[in-house]
Amino acid sequence: MAEKSDVLQGTLDLMVLKTLESMGALHGYGIARRIEQVSEKTFTLNQGTIYPALLRLEQRGWVKSEWGVSEAGRRAKFYSLTRSGRRQIEQETQNWERISATMARFLAPTN
Amino acid sequence: MDWLRILLSRFAAFFRSKKLDADLDDEIRAHLELAIAENVRAGMSPGQARTAALRAFGGVTQVRERYRVERSLPGLEQCARDIHYAVRRLQQSPGFALTTILTLSLGIGAATSVFSIVNAVLLKPFAFRDPDRLVVLREAVVDQAGGDRTAVPDNYRHFERLKKDSDVFEDAAIFRQRGMSVSPGGDHPRIAGAVTSSPNLFRVLGTEPVLGRDFVEDDARQNAQSVVILSDAGWQTFFGRDPAVIGKTLRIEGRPVTVIGVLPPGIRFPQIALAPTIAFQDTGGDPMLFEPLTPSERDLKADMGNFNYKAIARLKPGVTLARANAELEGMQKAYTLSAHLPFHFGIALTPLSKDVASGVSGGLWLLFAAVGAVLLIACVNLANLQLARAVNAKHETAVRAALGASRAQLVGSRLAESLVLAFAGGLAGVGLALGGVRLLLAMAPANIPRIDEVRVNLPVLIFSAGLSIAAAVVSGMLPALRSLRVDPQGALRTNSMRTANAQESQRTRSVMVAVQVACTVVLLIVTSLALRSLSQLLRQNRGFDSNHVTLAQADLFSPQYDKDGPAGNAARLAFVDRVLTAMDRLPGVQSVGLTSVTPLTGENWVDNLFRPDHRVAPGKEPAINVRWINPEYLPTMQSAVVAGRNITAADRANPYVALISERTAREGFPGENPIGHTITDLVPDSKHPITVIGVVANARINGLKDTAAIVYLPYWAYTPLTLSFLARSSQPSDALIPEMRRAIWQIDPEVAIPILKSMDEQVSDSVGTDRFQAIVLGSFGAAAFFLALLGVYGVLAYSVSLRRQEFGIRLALGSGRAAMIGLVLRQAAYPVLLGTGAGLTMALIALRWVRSILFETPTMDPVAFGGSVLLLLAAAAAAAIVPARRAASTDPMTVLRME
Repeated sequence: MAEKSDVLQGTLDLMVLKTLESMGALHGYGIARRIEQVSEKTFTLNQGTIYPALLRLEQRGWVKSEWGVSEAGRRAKFYSLTRSGRRQIEQETQNWERISATMARFLAPTN
Repeated sequence: MDWLRILLSRFAAFFRSKKLDADLDDEIRAHLELAIAENVRAGMSPGQARTAALRAFGGVTQVRERYRVERSLPGLEQCARDIHYAVRRLQQSPGFALTTILTLSLGIGAATSVFSIVNAVLLKPFAFRDPDRLVVLREAVVDQAGGDRTAVPDNYRHFERLKKDSDVFEDAAIFRQRGMSVSPGGDHPRIAGAVTSSPNLFRVLGTEPVLGRDFVEDDARQNAQSVVILSDAGWQTFFGRDPAVIGKTLRIEGRPVTVIGVLPPGIRFPQIALAPTIAFQDTGGDPMLFEPLTPSERDLKADMGNFNYKAIARLKPGVTLARANAELEGMQKAYTLSAHLPFHFGIALTPLSKDVASGVSGGLWLLFAAVGAVLLIACVNLANLQLARAVNAKHETAVRAALGASRAQLVGSRLAESLVLAFAGGLAGVGLALGGVRLLLAMAPANIPRIDEVRVNLPVLIFSAGLSIAAAVVSGMLPALRSLRVDPQGALRTNSMRTANAQESQRTRSVMVAVQVACTVVLLIVTSLALRSLSQLLRQNRGFDSNHVTLAQADLFSPQYDKDGPAGNAARLAFVDRVLTAMDRLPGVQSVGLTSVTPLTGENWVDNLFRPDHRVAPGKEPAINVRWINPEYLPTMQSAVVAGRNITAADRANPYVALISERTAREGFPGENPIGHTITDLVPDSKHPITVIGVVANARINGLKDTAAIVYLPYWAYTPLTLSFLARSSQPSDALIPEMRRAIWQIDPEVAIPILKSMDEQVSDSVGTDRFQAIVLGSFGAAAFFLALLGVYGVLAYSVSLRRQEFGIRLALGSGRAAMIGLVLRQAAYPVLLGTGAGLTMALIALRWVRSILFETPTMDPVAFGGSVLLLLAAAAAAAIVPARRAASTDPMTVLRME
């Protein structure tokens, strides 16, 4: 259980960061929808898990939040990237690419 | 640094959890509404849209929970909950809580009070720049044969040479200290402490005046204008903090002196002894006046003699004490040889802080250790109480363990109770310490250095906070850990206080009693030694009688008396004659004695005994104290002349006669009859030979701890500037004091009277430090004693209450009541005897530190040892007999029915 959620956590964090990078400031629902759209339902996201993830990122100083008004006219919290969040994306992306390249070599058909 | 940022943000969140919870709810609500709106746009009915939104979201409750876990510090919340429950539990047993808090607050209060003194006197650095580099510089006389070294005050010429040629000092200042008479605004003069020093004194110390200017080299020139710098207290006393004080004039010893500066309020001049062997000297109290030192002809020329100075130096950065000592020692040695001096000189450097505290540090640390022992005993008592509670709470603990509480949670909830108690006890203790410090200061003798700097300040508060936490851990850890051993099944099944390991916990409690008894034995022995030493000090034969004697010291510091040569001496002699006549006429006065040094103020006017008929190697002459007296001095003090005769009025025509004390006779005339022998060089400015006419019984006149080697000379040969009049009278001192003051001031209102009190009071003040130590140690000893008895009683009473059923059965089976009492007493005897044995062993070790404060009392004093042990055993037996009788009076029927 623990390992699985760890990996998931890492990927979710990076997805959130990446979403914020491409979309700018966004509320939790928007982030969740965007991730669902991009992943094209390759995995189902419990939208609620976005919030603990956002809190984690905020505690680390990678995202910041402020209250604003949603398109429905309700009070909602908008998240955006901080400068150290941008640096983190670079680092995480490299990490991820290294891992996926490694995995790809392992999974490549042997001949 | 990530973890720190996370920790901080979580810590901040802990205090805003309500607000953050509400925020999260808002956020989730907004999320769901957005989702529902989108689903409706996609064509769902409102109900379907809502269900779908919730499904996509996942469990709202789970998200909340995960969010909280992510946000919070679980330990902190757990802690807050534990403390909350602990407070509630304690409210349910107010008796236990009050006893505990009271015991703790007394212990912590006493420890905090003593620590605030230890802190101010021994630990707090001086308010100077880099005080660690300040050293007190003294010369040492080295006995080449034995290698003995005696630290002596500095010779001016030696100091100048050392300062100029050595490479270890950044700077060094030389000074003298004494009382000077100050007459502010035409009042009768008063004596104020004064320092006459080289102009660089404040630069060496690393401070400077807040008002006006520091000394410059020119202030010390011959015939320079007389200037003075005032301490903050001096500014207050003589000028009422007048901001325009600079340039004003103050009359010091009859001459006008211009004020050029005022020192900052936090600066107190350190109390530095002239030499470690010179116990105490009346220098007029804390210095208020600072004057520049203009070296005299003698200062610049004399290589031998004139060891009258104190010196303070600042080491260069990086220079160690050892290196400075070695370098200066070498210079002194070389100079001794090249200048053909008859003594071998060395050097004695001491760090300033150590030097100032040298006389009192042993005693204070001892008090500190004693109060620590009391606190330890109190903590053990608390641990015992807590243990009993933990056993009672076994059922609760078992339930919690069965429901899955972790070990950390079980220990934490027990410790929380101790922490709450320690917090309350510590708070009350600090409150008590505020009063306790005042009490200690009221009892403390004034000659403890820096005693007026004692405050309950931040370091002291930090100390007591630390102490409270330590007390909580010491008293709470053991019971807390024991609660882990509860076997839930067993405990739940019995549903009674009598659980399986009651026996085992009894053993723990016995060990605790033994620890208490051991500490108490040590404290009782130390206390009784201190008390015996004090009583020895007060009861021994002093060689004088202070009863019915009143003492007035007069200082003749005005210019007409202070002239060198015959004119000044004649003025002083005339003054003394007139005062003696006037005092003789006061009501009830039987006799009026005169002496040049107020009794019990330490070594003073120290000279060497020169005998023309018996030459000894230079420097080997016995040291003696010179006292200038009148014929009534010895009768007034009731000191006996044991050989020869007293001075009489007939000697006035030819006053070159002397009486010597028995000790002087022994040291100066070993195996000879001193009467009729000649001594020389004691009368200032005179080479007239002096004839010894009598021997006086030894008197402890300089201080009760030692007899003095004294040479008494009539005041007709020389009259000094400082005089003590001693009136023996049938009148009480209270009545005589104003009369004596009036008599002196009628003759000369310009004379200062720094000391005016009964001789009994002077004696009692002189043993102030010893009395202070004895009283404080005594009260700690008493506290330890009662706490230990409480411990013995408490443990036994508790165990008897647990074993009532057993006793009932024993009695029912025919056991006698006497056997019952014996059973319980035996149970009490093991820990008490074990503790006594351990205590005696510890005492043997502790006594090494106690020896320094004892006066003529052997540390292995059988009365102190035997008395302490017997007292403790008797009291412990008394404390044990109550529960023992209760055990014996158990009614078998009642107990057996109860089950």
